[in-house]
Amino acid sequence: MEKLIRFALDYVSYVVKGGAKFYAWMAGLGILIAIWGYSFYIQATEGLAVTGLTDQVSDGLYLGNVMFLVGVAAAAVTVVFPAYAYQHKALHEVAVLGEMVAIAAVTLCNLFVLSHMGRPDRLWHMLPVIGIYNIPNSLITFDVLVLTGYLLLNLVCGFYFLYTKYTGDRINRVFYMPLIYISIVWALSIHSVTALFINTMPARPFWNSPVMPIHFISTAFAAGPGLIILIFLLVRKNTKLWIKDEAINLLSTIMTYCLGIALFLNLSEIATHLYFPTEHTLGLEYLMFGVNGLTALVPWFWASSAANIIAFVMLLIPRVRKNYRLLPVACVLAFAGIWVQKGIGLLVPGFTPSPIGEFTNYMPTLIEVLVTLGNWAIGAAMLTVLLKGAIGILLGEVKYATAPWEVRGNVVPFYRATPKPTTKLPWAPSGDPARYEASKPSSGSRTRRRRRDALA
Amino acid sequence: MNRYALNALAVTLVCLAASAVSAEDKPCFESRKGASEVTPHKLPNGVPSVKCSPTTGAVLWWGDPYDGTMPMGEMSPPGDYSKGQAVVKPREDKLGLLPVCGVACHNGSFPPPPKDKYPRPLAMHQDIVPDALKLQHGRGAIWCLDCHHPTQRNKLIDNFGDSIGFNEPQKLCGKCHGPILRDWRDGIHGKRTGEWASDGKKRWYVCTECHNPHDVQQGARNSGFAQIEPEPAPALPKGLKNADHERHKDHGTPHAGTPLLERLTSWLQHLRKRGATGTGRDASTLQ
Amino acid sequence: MQQGKVPPCDSDKEHHSQGRRGMAETAATPSCSSRRGFLKEMGGLSIASLMGTAALLTNSDDAQAKTEWAEWFQGNYRLMTDEEKAQAKARLERRYSQEYGKPVMVDTTPAKEGVLFGYALNIQKCIGCRRCVKACVEENNQSRGNAQQIEWIRVVKMEKGKFTPEKMTQGYPDPIGIQVGGNAYSAAGVTLEGEHYYQPEKVPEQDAFYMPIACMQCEKPPCVKVCPVRTTYRDADGIVVIDYNWCIGCRQCIDACPYWARRFNWSTPNVPKAEMNPKTHYLGNRPRMKGVVEKCTFCIQRTRHGRYPACVEVCPVGARKFGNLLDPNSEVSRILERKSVFRLRADQNTYPKFFYFMD
Repeated sequence: MEKLIRFALDYVSYVVKGGAKFYAWMAGLGILIAIWGYSFYIQATEGLAVTGLTDQVSDGLYLGNVMFLVGVAAAAVTVVFPAYAYQHKALHEVAVLGEMVAIAAVTLCNLFVLSHMGRPDRLWHMLPVIGIYNIPNSLITFDVLVLTGYLLLNLVCGFYFLYTKYTGDRINRVFYMPLIYISIVWALSIHSVTALFINTMPARPFWNSPVMPIHFISTAFAAGPGLIILIFLLVRKNTKLWIKDEAINLLSTIMTYCLGIALFLNLSEIATHLYFPTEHTLGLEYLMFGVNGLTALVPWFWASSAANIIAFVMLLIPRVRKNYRLLPVACVLAFAGIWVQKGIGLLVPGFTPSPIGEFTNYMPTLIEVLVTLGNWAIGAAMLTVLLKGAIGILLGEVKYATAPWEVRGNVVPFYRATPKPTTKLPWAPSGDPARYEASKPSSGSRTRRRRRDALA
Repeated sequence: MNRYALNALAVTLVCLAASAVSAEDKPCFESRKGASEVTPHKLPNGVPSVKCSPTTGAVLWWGDPYDGTMPMGEMSPPGDYSKGQAVVKPREDKLGLLPVCGVACHNGSFPPPPKDKYPRPLAMHQDIVPDALKLQHGRGAIWCLDCHHPTQRNKLIDNFGDSIGFNEPQKLCGKCHGPILRDWRDGIHGKRTGEWASDGKKRWYVCTECHNPHDVQQGARNSGFAQIEPEPAPALPKGLKNADHERHKDHGTPHAGTPLLERLTSWLQHLRKRGATGTGRDASTLQ
Repeated sequence: MQQGKVPPCDSDKEHHSQGRRGMAETAATPSCSSRRGFLKEMGGLSIASLMGTAALLTNSDDAQAKTEWAEWFQGNYRLMTDEEKAQAKARLERRYSQEYGKPVMVDTTPAKEGVLFGYALNIQKCIGCRRCVKACVEENNQSRGNAQQIEWIRVVKMEKGKFTPEKMTQGYPDPIGIQVGGNAYSAAGVTLEGEHYYQPEKVPEQDAFYMPIACMQCEKPPCVKVCPVRTTYRDADGIVVIDYNWCIGCRQCIDACPYWARRFNWSTPNVPKAEMNPKTHYLGNRPRMKGVVEKCTFCIQRTRHGRYPACVEVCPVGARKFGNLLDPNSEVSRILERKSVFRLRADQNTYPKFFYFMD
């Protein structure tokens, strides 16, 4: 217990301190968050009337961000899965950063859900026991279940890992590994359920496509790793933690495949719908070409398509993919392209035309944009803090029995980049051969040993 | 603009209603404009008898659906519908000349009843039938005395020559419009207010409360029901300045949203034609 | 069935105590409702009157806060005991009476056994005059004005269709044989691309017919299925209702409805005091709050007391018909028996109890 308290204290005191860059960044976010506070207050008192939403287009920017961010959260699995299932060494070293991204993304999702709701004060109506939980009928209830579960899983896994790193204890595999595997499957479930949540409504033919879940997952595994690569490159540049090239390269490979699949699914949907267009295709036509002179979404569609295609072509070329100056460009393009495609580009055509054929042009208002920006700022601030804490622990700057301010700069970080690998064993835990040797005599089959070692 | 007008009017009406009840007594119409006018007043329980549309003057809401009605009496042939649960609003109150027309001008002997029922120019009643030789009912197959009693001009006439009161025109109209009478009796045709239960109390709207018997073919649409002014359109959703997109739909050519393949096809065709004729102007029928 | 007249509530005579928005009326309102089910509501009323007394003793802001607090904590309507329902009713009546400056009645009449409400609309008769739309607003206390206008009924104008010889040559591809006729893209009949904002001087127009669309009170309502908190449900007489106090405003039901029948209160609804209809039902036309969904309830406050819905009464051409589908003599049953009917978007398998028919 004392350890835990020390962990919390050390963690907090570490993350709130930083250099000028850190404070400047947080202050910038703070300004956005302050503006958010005001905008959110206006929305809460005036109602959603201050947004661009209408009865015709009743979900917009907020829900679009939810759709997108669930994908980002799910994409943590692109780090965790190779790390644990394939013992990818480089990714395993930084798997916890993926979990931190997931925590921030799910929290951000919840913020957007709150912004989207008409009566956030009545959220407790959804809680089992004191409220009513319409399971198994309502997909929203499933969504709440899987998102909450995913948040908890990542909090527990992530912080348990960090805690053991902090104390130097060995990880309790019986407790930890099942959670990791559950979280891998769970990550897929959160995004499938989010897709099912909108594609199970025949009233909205634009969404009513069985391809939606896999499309969601493929776009998520393109945009998510894109963000994670950007984060990794930033971490490499701005902290002492050296994330190996193999980690980034694997992520960019995953991104290439998934972006390719996403584009293919896009094309097959377009071909299916446009070969012989029906009334149900009007949403897609509105998105791609505009209908009867209403063309609000057309530039967005083509811009996002172009961004995705350019990103894909860039990623396809190994030399570009491994060029860490060009890679961020591809990542930003894919991230932005998918954000548009999966947010506004997915939701609004589902509403246009309305089920009884009414068209309108949805345009977010300033308040809506400010709330959205503020939500993202909160997410970014949270992510910064989480990553900072995690990196501090990975670097050994936050360690049990030594207050961080005493050791900063003195300790040879455990995960610090080493010029060459110190062991040839592919399953060896990264970095420290001495530790590997020490653990060698323990009993158990080779596989088990390998697994355990991989976890160490 | 209409909406603003509506609101301004609504507000004005509300203010007026609050200040003085008597300001409300502008007549409104129930179904057929000009033939079913009512004057709003306060019911004994304080509820307004009707609420009317500020833009069109149509009754929108009845405080008491049976206000000013009387039992319908027996129908012909008697059905299950005449148990005192059915009430009608007397039509005779609406006909200004009815009290005098059977006495003053048509007392049965003077002017002498016409020899036959054939159409002839009329000296009177142009206000009701502008062109008597072109009666807008029956397309030349009927004329005045097929419906009006030849000697009792304050009555209508049935197939046996017996008189029918103006309060029960359904007995007259059913002479020709049998299926509609049947639907009307079963509540399928025509308007009802009151209770929905099949044995509930209802006010039945009789034929002439909705149809103008002297001009059933009127109006551009020839639907039997005279054209009326519609209530204002709904408010446009945010993001739209006007509804031109739905008014100026260009049917006949593929609209702006016509998908890629069809656009491509039409474009190819356009190119072909252009190549064939050597000019780009004539074949561009598809924009 | 016998009553069905305007439900008598004699405290109406206090109707004109303008200016005194407050305690006297507030206290008078429950006594009006108590006539309807005195014994049943005794428990609730005693508490209500206690609270009423409290409201008299403290200042009104405080009472208002208490009411809001109690409303916030009340459970889902369907799960409330009779006593809780009576409390909720008394609370609402007090609050509404105060807000609107007249005695407001909140009815809680449950569904009657042996009744399944159905609706039929003669699409051939409809002239598109939108009187039903406005009557509905009048009756059901929808928000009006420029800030937020809510209408539960939408009348869509459909083109009758015009096929012309001029278009015959406009098909394509031409040189290798016409695959798409030149008269394609001419709307004719019911289509998704109707006109919602038509405003001619007179209706019906020559080349159009009209299709009013509102809640279909589906037997298998998709909106009910997707509601995460079961605040919207199908009541025993077939009406799909909403407990506005339980709705969390997620708008999933709006997305799921194939008829675009649901509307959202984007801001606090604006219902002028003088225009407000004081005869309300808990599940129907009582004033809504910001951030909740609403829709047609077949005028539950009227129909549960025998009266026709407001739109049925107002239709000048008698195109709207309403009744008990379980009664073979009802108007709807006779229409189903005698006329050709269709359900809008039957492909959706929602099984509406709203039928369109033709003569």
